[in-house]
Amino acid sequence: MVMRLISYARQLLDYANIEPITTVRGYFAAKALADVGQGKIHCRTITCRIPVVPEAVPPWSPAEEHKAPRKTGGPGLDAVDCRELVKTFDGGAVRAVDGVSIAIRSNEFFTLLGPSGCGKTTMLRMIAGFEIQDSGSIFVHGQKLDGLPPYRRPVNTVFQSYAVFPHLTVEENVAFGLEMRRRPRAEIAAKVEEMTALVKLAGLEKRKPAQLSGGQQQRVALARALANEPRVLLLDEPLAALDLKLRTEMQLELKRLQAEIGITFVFVTHDQHEAMTMSDRVAVMRAGKVLQIGTPAEIYDRPTNRFVADFIGETNLLSATRIGPTRCRLDCGIELDVVERGVAGDKVTLAVRPERATLVTQGAQGLPGSVEQVVYVGADTSYHVVLRGGVRFRVREQNSDGSIARVERGASIRVVIPPASVRVLAE
Amino acid sequence: MIRGVRRWGLVAPAVAIVGMFVVAPLSLMAYVSTLDRGPQGMVAWDRHSLDAYVQFLFERDLTGRLALNTDYLRIFGRSIMLAAITTVVTLLIGFPTALWMAFQPLRRRTFLVFIVTVPFWTNLLVRNFAWILLLRDGGVIDASLRKLGITSAPMEVLYTPFATGIGLTYSFLPYMILPIYVSLEKLDRRLLEAAFDLGADRWRTLWRVILPLSMPGIIGGAILVFVPGLGAFISPELLGGAKSMMIGSLIQEQFGQSRNWPFGAALAFVLLALVLTGLWLHALRFRRERRLP
Repeated sequence: MVMRLISYARQLLDYANIEPITTVRGYFAAKALADVGQGKIHCRTITCRIPVVPEAVPPWSPAEEHKAPRKTGGPGLDAVDCRELVKTFDGGAVRAVDGVSIAIRSNEFFTLLGPSGCGKTTMLRMIAGFEIQDSGSIFVHGQKLDGLPPYRRPVNTVFQSYAVFPHLTVEENVAFGLEMRRRPRAEIAAKVEEMTALVKLAGLEKRKPAQLSGGQQQRVALARALANEPRVLLLDEPLAALDLKLRTEMQLELKRLQAEIGITFVFVTHDQHEAMTMSDRVAVMRAGKVLQIGTPAEIYDRPTNRFVADFIGETNLLSATRIGPTRCRLDCGIELDVVERGVAGDKVTLAVRPERATLVTQGAQGLPGSVEQVVYVGADTSYHVVLRGGVRFRVREQNSDGSIARVERGASIRVVIPPASVRVLAE
Repeated sequence: MIRGVRRWGLVAPAVAIVGMFVVAPLSLMAYVSTLDRGPQGMVAWDRHSLDAYVQFLFERDLTGRLALNTDYLRIFGRSIMLAAITTVVTLLIGFPTALWMAFQPLRRRTFLVFIVTVPFWTNLLVRNFAWILLLRDGGVIDASLRKLGITSAPMEVLYTPFATGIGLTYSFLPYMILPIYVSLEKLDRRLLEAAFDLGADRWRTLWRVILPLSMPGIIGGAILVFVPGLGAFISPELLGGAKSMMIGSLIQEQFGQSRNWPFGAALAFVLLALVLTGLWLHALRFRRERRLP
């Protein structure tokens, strides 16, 4: 149905000779155009419903990395603009959010990732209006939200616990927000039908939440939030309570919905896999501060500090000292070439992903060591190596050729670390 | 076989207690209500008649014919009216109180529940006597009002249905507050956040989320107030005076001064039938609502 609407919208645009057609993105824009076509809504409404096309995210290049933070759309153009947010609890004893500034672009799937207690949920609750920040400001599409109660904010939330109203049926739940805004009955009915279809709940409209599974309740919560056509949807660990299989399914489903509807998603999770699979950009948080913001690939390949390198995926962290612009000496005495340049004498941490290093059994290349343990995990095998000098190092190899383990436990091997695979972090 | 014996053995104490404290006294009273009154009061154990039930609606005039007598019906009507008003007033006071209590910090909540139950620690009779001191002409309230120049004449509240209403409301308020409080306390706070998030302000959150979800507590409280309120004895007896007699006093009178045990028993059973019919109708409606998919 959505595809039909979009194609209808395209026809309309063709008819109106508006160029370029590709600037129309998103479900609501298409829907709005369709409504205009049928004379359902006034034309003026369209202009504000068509979301701003996000600027193309330039691919990462090493030269750009140390420049000033990436330019954002500027005030008014970002979907969510948080400035210097501070939130303390217990009379200032706990600094839950400690001076966080984040600019989230329109139509972006943005994830706040971090361990529990890092302030990510508090961030979300401040945007929703359930917590009032001690200082700082929040803008959504240029509108200052400070001082507005939750029911006056142009955002909607999907809660971790679903928080579906148990006394209302599925359709009553979905209609709740629209009824609160006193929409005409016919519009509500149409919207409910559309939303239940969108989240694949058609046929269950008359059920009470108690008669639904966890995944279905989560879909109700999603449909209920989306029915209000928020410009920004906040999701607070919405998949945490689902089992693994359902969670994976819902991850793809959410990603599909976000692409289909074309609104901004702000997603909170402590699950790095979830963050990696779904997000356009990720902000890694710890202890109330944002440590790094970037695409999943940037965060994984180019972490800017020890915590991010360690928190996302598996990493070998090696303490070292620079002895030349592109050469480092590990604390155990082994020397290693790197690509990233720096000043000799600096104390640094070298981060190497286990899958970026290789084991060799012959030759003089690489760092000598012995295999302490071989862990077979199906798709790949993890070798726990002790390098000469006592440093522990992990190497992961894909079992693409079907062999179980190439190297036996106790074997003497050499670990080859290509210089380009070493990420040099300030201590 | 052994399982059967063991099962009965385990159930027996409960059966014995229910039999001794519920079935036996009720059966006895049901039996008494079908007897004739004895010459010296009490009952004539060997003479059966349904006169007691007839007497509820009719009286024999001098010629021995039956004529409709609405005195007792009016007492029943007044009782139902007063119990209903009490239920509504306790609900109007109790719901906001319970709501406020449920949203206090945990330690204060515990303290407040204790405060609500404090009246249970003293005798109901004593507390109703206290109301006499408060309400009577020249009593605390009357004297203060007159001293402040707000009224000039005695307020004449004591020994009116209004005083009974005050007494009943006072006596039954905790029974309304506690069940509502319990249902509000376990209300998921995240549902309120969800309502706010969807654009409902405080007032509409109250109507659309809090009120429906605390309905079990409200219904429980209403039953706990209305049913005992119907048969209340102490408040109407002490505060109501002779002109506003309620069922409780009427029944007490039959077993006391009037020495008409069968009539008293019959009155009690009419009341019981009334209450059970009400509860049955409620249960029927509730079940029908739940059966809807």
